[in-house]
Amino acid sequence: MTGNRAGGVDLGRGLTLPNPVGLASGTAGYGFELEQLIDINRLGALYTKGTTVHAREGNPPPRVAETGGGMLNSIGLQNPGVDVVASTYAPRWKGWAIPIIVNVAGGSIDDYVHCARVLEPIAEVAGIELNISCPNIAQGLDFGRDPAAAARLVAAVRAVTERCMIVKLSPNVTDIGAVARAVEEAGADAVSAVNTYIGRKIHRASGRSVLPLGTGGLSGPAIQPLALAAVAAVCHAVRIPVIGVGGIADAASALDFLIVGACAVQVGTATFVNPETALQVLDGLRD
Amino acid sequence: MTADLSSAALETGEVLVVERLGGGLLELVARLPHLAATAMPGMFAQLRCGHGTSPLLRRPFSVAWTQDDTCGFIFEAVGAGTRLLAELEPGDPLDILGPLGHGFSVVDGGSVVCVSGGLGCAPFPLLINELRRRGVEDILVLNGARTATRLYPAERFARPAVPVVAEATDDGTRGHHGYVTDLLRRALGSRPSAIYACGPNAMLGAVMRTLLESGADLPPTLEASLEAPMGCGFGTCLGCALPVRGEDGTSAWRLCCTDGPVMSMRDVDWEGLRALPGADVA
Repeated sequence: MTGNRAGGVDLGRGLTLPNPVGLASGTAGYGFELEQLIDINRLGALYTKGTTVHAREGNPPPRVAETGGGMLNSIGLQNPGVDVVASTYAPRWKGWAIPIIVNVAGGSIDDYVHCARVLEPIAEVAGIELNISCPNIAQGLDFGRDPAAAARLVAAVRAVTERCMIVKLSPNVTDIGAVARAVEEAGADAVSAVNTYIGRKIHRASGRSVLPLGTGGLSGPAIQPLALAAVAAVCHAVRIPVIGVGGIADAASALDFLIVGACAVQVGTATFVNPETALQVLDGLRD
Repeated sequence: MTADLSSAALETGEVLVVERLGGGLLELVARLPHLAATAMPGMFAQLRCGHGTSPLLRRPFSVAWTQDDTCGFIFEAVGAGTRLLAELEPGDPLDILGPLGHGFSVVDGGSVVCVSGGLGCAPFPLLINELRRRGVEDILVLNGARTATRLYPAERFARPAVPVVAEATDDGTRGHHGYVTDLLRRALGSRPSAIYACGPNAMLGAVMRTLLESGADLPPTLEASLEAPMGCGFGTCLGCALPVRGEDGTSAWRLCCTDGPVMSMRDVDWEGLRALPGADVA
């Protein structure tokens, strides 16, 4: 497994990523901060913050808590709503070389369908990633846990979009391969795996959970072996492209995902520590 | 609105010294030319603590002062990250991202009161230096701490001319026996043209209550540097939410890292902030 692994990636429906290394949803906003810190246009894709029909204020703080080799978050999908993304953010992406894939979240099939319809005519949107796996909002995981429900959702969105549609899978399930197969059969062009693992941290002095909702989503290097096992299972289960995500901090940990069958990767929490991590991963995969 | 990160950069500097000031206060001095040249009062830097994956996240510290190509940071070794910083030796590399955040609005004249609680002293030397550069000479520092050894030394708030520093300790071991807010109440008689505050969020809430209860005309520049558990420090993780009062009076979240850490004290939802767990819980 040597040689250049940094070539273009065909995800279907006319979307070819210039290279396999993207910025994971929830760790790069809509790109406007990182654009100022790194040469974002060298990267393969930007998967935006989860975007919903209406603006969301997000969860009460504390929203983040550090854990061994990782962090918990409970942001609660704070976002400006799909209309603002379409009308205000998308024009700012004009001229960017990096493909923008808008991550879409919701509580009902209608929510996802509405967002997909709003984004469909926007030229700057290269594709959509359906977030059926957010652990931090009510109903966030409902679609991700049930293959039949996930398939109904994907089929409904498929009916209104010609764009490349990626489905982001939850690792908080018994059989991730079954969910992956269901969304493949329902018309997904690709899957990304995994979203965060449900985790909890206790504040010693009070004996209470640090995060106000009790649990949050665990990310960071601590989850890389877990994510790798899940992605390997997904690669066995489906024939559509698989995008690996979970705990990638350098080229070696990214290469693991390519070795088990993923065609692309997303760098998430490591960007918080070093905004240049994704670029370093890309350069490492070229060597 | 997107944060202006145009001056922020990754920089690997060199540790010059970690000085023990007593009472657990530490001052880390490092050669960081970019940060020294670009940090404005109230801005912060994200410091990497160690080289491994635990602790994973950078830690935010106010840029306490700059001189030529060096910067100072004031902290206390209370957790895994700060303990690693405390162990740094001269010559060690220091990996930082900065400057970050929204700093103080520095006034050009009149009299200024700086209210510091504990480690809240951190942003004031750089602020005072900038105030003096702009010709503001009437600067009063109100410095409070639990006990005398934990008071940041008065002569370090500005060099070479030390500003007037009034001290308060909870246990009465130096200065006024009581809270820094007692000193603030007296200082309001001089009708300051700006008040800047930094300290634990609970102390800042007490400062605001003191100001409101005093009945005094409050200056237009009334700012506090706040704290929150932080993920990235540059506005993408959305982790460091703080409650502010929206235009319609309802509460809304703003990010400590990019909307702050310095905010107008008039905008903060102090009741909402008081209801939150302390920043140390995470």
